[in-house]
Amino acid sequence: MFEVSQINLSDGFVAGRMLGLVGLLLIMLASAYFIYMARKGKVPKIRRIAGIDAIDEAIGRAVEMGRPVMCSHGIAGLTEATTGPQTIAGLGVTAYVAKKCVDVSTRLMIPVRQPNVWPIAADIVETAYRMAGKPQEYKSSDIMFLSTDQFGFTSSYIGILMREKPGANIMVGAYWAESMQLATSGARAGCIQIAGTAAVAQIPYFVLASDYCLIGEEIYAASAYVSGEGEQIASLAGQDFGRLIAVGIMLLGALLNTAGIKMIIDLWRW
Amino acid sequence: MSSLLKRIEIPIFLTIVCCLLQVVPYYFYWKPLDDFATREAQWMNLIVATATFIGLISLVQVHGANVQKRSKGWYFSVVTLVCAVSFAIIGLPLPEYGLGSLSYWYLFLYNNGQVALSQAQFSLLAFFMTSGVYRAFRARNLESGLVLGAGILTVCYNAPAIVATYPFFADIRGLLNDIPNLALNRAVTIGAALGAIILAVRTLLGIERGYLRGGGD
Repeated sequence: MFEVSQINLSDGFVAGRMLGLVGLLLIMLASAYFIYMARKGKVPKIRRIAGIDAIDEAIGRAVEMGRPVMCSHGIAGLTEATTGPQTIAGLGVTAYVAKKCVDVSTRLMIPVRQPNVWPIAADIVETAYRMAGKPQEYKSSDIMFLSTDQFGFTSSYIGILMREKPGANIMVGAYWAESMQLATSGARAGCIQIAGTAAVAQIPYFVLASDYCLIGEEIYAASAYVSGEGEQIASLAGQDFGRLIAVGIMLLGALLNTAGIKMIIDLWRW
Repeated sequence: MSSLLKRIEIPIFLTIVCCLLQVVPYYFYWKPLDDFATREAQWMNLIVATATFIGLISLVQVHGANVQKRSKGWYFSVVTLVCAVSFAIIGLPLPEYGLGSLSYWYLFLYNNGQVALSQAQFSLLAFFMTSGVYRAFRARNLESGLVLGAGILTVCYNAPAIVATYPFFADIRGLLNDIPNLALNRAVTIGAALGAIILAVRTLLGIERGYLRGGGD
């Protein structure tokens, strides 16, 4: 049998990570290709995502009710490998919400758990006000650092929801055990809620207690989706290419393994 | 000079360099590069630690204004500020004065204050989940009916008296958990991982700018 693990690699490459590297490069090349095509004017069509489309509706409702908008980018920082990207995705949504809120002159409140994310969130909101020509309306006290303690943050967030009664509560990012408490409290406060996370264990809670839910990868697509920029939207087609690779490897692996051929398993050791 | 420093290309360039410094050593080992990536991670920790002061400034800004204006519930803001300042002072790394994060008073306040309050908030989750389950377990359509069915089977599995009487509940729950639940779990996980990769590609190419001033120049 062909043993891929026996292939001699140069000393510099780390064993067991080569298949991942090949997959990563293929996905990156596919994305780069679709971005290149988008620059030439061929932007792929992507499906509508109800949760993202509902952001405008939620802000509009808050304006009609004369209530503020609450937007959270999750409770994680930027440095962790699995949760950092969720925070970045959440900040992308925050940027869109900030622009919309500035346009309609609605107060936007952003609760922050990680001090290192605070300057980024503040910069996003301040820039939105500056670009709209309303720098004097920006209030840094609306970007609120609550607590680094998970449940200190949660109780403070719930307190703000119950006191301020925002018209919309938008939560996109990494969440843990507090997801159910935040979403249920938002529902009690009468907010229209849009929640999304890639933390698999928390998705059911958001589905249960929110009006719209972004599931897993949808939060990463959100910032590209709301940007409306062809290049960003085109990059999502690269994600579909990666999905095809994943499905292909899974099917091939299942068939070969059933036939007693361990080639795919050996490839992972490459 | 100041307008040059405000250009968005600078943080994009720094992001790309820092990303590559973490990604390349994962696949390709070269000691000088690996050492530099480790050093970069240490710098990152230092920057994150420095940002703690920003949190404190924001806290004082928000709660100080509440106290100053005598806003609704301003006395809670006083408690918050007193606690924050007390912890900051008691936690100063001066063991010769009985201060520091291992001092008696710091541990006393931490264990009897913060830990107790945090656990109290966490324990409330049970009630939130119960009310959530009440809303979820309503068979309004086929999908919610399936959720109700799966939920009842799982509840039965978690009741020792029922499993002792009817052991097949354990098998059904195992079937539900190991096949449809695990398959969906992996599907969402793989999708999320691909989404994160594409976000990284956009960041590396400098077209994802949501985290940089909301994409504004």
